[in-house]
Amino acid sequence: MVEPVSGFATIDELTHALKGVGYHAPRQLATSVFLAMKLQRPLLLEGEPGVGKTELAKALSKVLARPMLRLQCYDGMEQREALYEWNHTAQLLHMRAAQDTVTADEIEREVYQPRYLIRRPLLQALQAPAPGAVLLIDEVDRADEPFEAFLLEYLGEYQVTIPELGTIKAEAAPITILTSNRTRDLNDAVKRRCLYQWMDYPERERELAIVQSQVPEAGPALTEQITQFVSRLRSMPFANAFQRSPGIAESVEWAKALVALDTLTLDPEVVQDTAGILFKQREDVAALIPLIDELLQPEPA
Amino acid sequence: MKLGDARSGKLRDNITGFGRALRRAGVPVDSSRIAMAIEAIELVGIERKDDLHAALRAVLVSRQQDLEVFDQLFDALFRNPELAQQLLAQMLPKVRQAEAPKRKARVQEALAAARAPKEGPRKESEIQLDAAMTASDQQRLRHADFATLNASEFRLIERLVRDVPLPLPPVRGRRTRAGVRGQRPHWAAAMQQARRFEGELLWLPKRARRPQALPLLVLVDVSGSMERYARLLLAFLHNATQGRPRAAFAFGTDLTDLRPAFRQRDTDHMLDMANAAIADFAGGTRLGASLATLRERHARTLVGRRTVVVLISDGLDTGEPDALNSEVLWLKRHCRQLLWLNPLLRFDGYAPLASGAKVLHEHADGMLAVHNLSRLEDLAQAMARLMQR
Repeated sequence: MVEPVSGFATIDELTHALKGVGYHAPRQLATSVFLAMKLQRPLLLEGEPGVGKTELAKALSKVLARPMLRLQCYDGMEQREALYEWNHTAQLLHMRAAQDTVTADEIEREVYQPRYLIRRPLLQALQAPAPGAVLLIDEVDRADEPFEAFLLEYLGEYQVTIPELGTIKAEAAPITILTSNRTRDLNDAVKRRCLYQWMDYPERERELAIVQSQVPEAGPALTEQITQFVSRLRSMPFANAFQRSPGIAESVEWAKALVALDTLTLDPEVVQDTAGILFKQREDVAALIPLIDELLQPEPA
Repeated sequence: MKLGDARSGKLRDNITGFGRALRRAGVPVDSSRIAMAIEAIELVGIERKDDLHAALRAVLVSRQQDLEVFDQLFDALFRNPELAQQLLAQMLPKVRQAEAPKRKARVQEALAAARAPKEGPRKESEIQLDAAMTASDQQRLRHADFATLNASEFRLIERLVRDVPLPLPPVRGRRTRAGVRGQRPHWAAAMQQARRFEGELLWLPKRARRPQALPLLVLVDVSGSMERYARLLLAFLHNATQGRPRAAFAFGTDLTDLRPAFRQRDTDHMLDMANAAIADFAGGTRLGASLATLRERHARTLVGRRTVVVLISDGLDTGEPDALNSEVLWLKRHCRQLLWLNPLLRFDGYAPLASGAKVLHEHADGMLAVHNLSRLEDLAQAMARLMQR
């Protein structure tokens, strides 16, 4: 395996570079990412939806100038959707065409050539030329257990085995990010191969910085109000009223919507009109409405 | 604790010690992790405590529920090693007085049967499950030991499980395999065939969807009125659903996770563990609150929308009906089917008058009587029929 995966000598450098592309990583997260790159281990990110798990992979691909490959997991996903598949139609055509001129053995050798291979994200990531790719295995909790078992060889060794071609090992280890929303527990064997990072809702300053950099049009006053409102929503005792608290993604969306509505300050009416952006469930929107006034009050000093 | 120089070996010792401490506190840490932790520390350096903390945490912890333990132990160990010892001592399970292994009820009965019986036959040796509701019986059942089956019950369960399999129908999953009546062509098989017949394709092999077992979630009411039914149904379901994905919870005033118990193979073990786990035996029922806990903490036991939920309760709820309504609706929305097994259905002219029963009656996909456990066959068949829909 060829050396360097990381262009960053220190955690600070990495944090700074991520900030440059609009990703504000807390120190703890940056340390995990730094280690994942140095130790060449996959990094498993768990946390509520909308806290920036997928965004991290995108940001890494930007700062490292590496291609990002994304495998979106779903229930019932099979190896051929994740790794590779033979282009059988092309193979059959080739067979028919070459049938009269060459022997059966030769045909067989010809049709199992890499050029008949349809490469899916995992294989593409392994074969990406140095310095390698950023591979995002998104929502791995949605795939089923057989798929997890299939991932083990890949996550442990950065290699896969294709019966007709042999074992393919990564030339440069891809930086691998797995994300999970914890709709179910992952297998311990998968976890053992990864570094682990739990991602929480952001602290207020961090969220402020994120909204500011993503929606600069909102202006400092409104941004401050938005982040204060959202962080109070997530804190006790309000959070208990909702089935799901809004994530960073929702705050950013909300800021964008408020800008589009030419809002300068939050008031109960505008919050009520745009509540559907913060909450995606009818019950949660209904639960928000009686709380709006209380949430909008200035914080006790 | 002073970390010392990475080269001196002191660091290595300390990290190893820390790893062991974590292990003793119940965090799964193996030696390869500890080796990786040492490597990680060499990479991030030991100048900053927060980096050290983050690095060790990323390497040594892999579950959210362990993070708190890690943080406390880290703080303790890297500030004051003696405090750490105390902390550990607190976290370790209390050393229990070694008890003589208690014999199981069915073993005891088997032994007792060899001797001449002094008294009349025990009341429980007859299967009188149907008579659980008289006042004196209730009194007796309240003190009955939930944990063990007596011999007759065990025989009943054994026979039922052997004779009455619970034929839960599989559904067609998303994964495919070679099959005759599939919808998609099986190109790999087509290739093999073409190779055999000199490039000719005589027929097109198909891929069919692979059958998949439906996951099961059992929610069982352990309030006073339900105790006897709950025990036998748990035993039956535990036996009849071996080998398929399943989860079980008990609820009374609170929700108890029975999944560790259900992982046991032996049904008596399972009941033992369940008994130890359930703190609120024969208390009231707060169905709404229990379902809310299920939603908040264990929503992920509901797999996609495939899970079949079996709710065993008499619906005599002492909680808020409104809360119950929204929780039951949530549950129904997140599962494939919500089956309600109700012992009170045995009474002629039963009507769901209690507020909890009303809600369940309104939303459940199917309602079955479980009053007569000796005829569990009917229940198994009815359950299978309901699920086939």
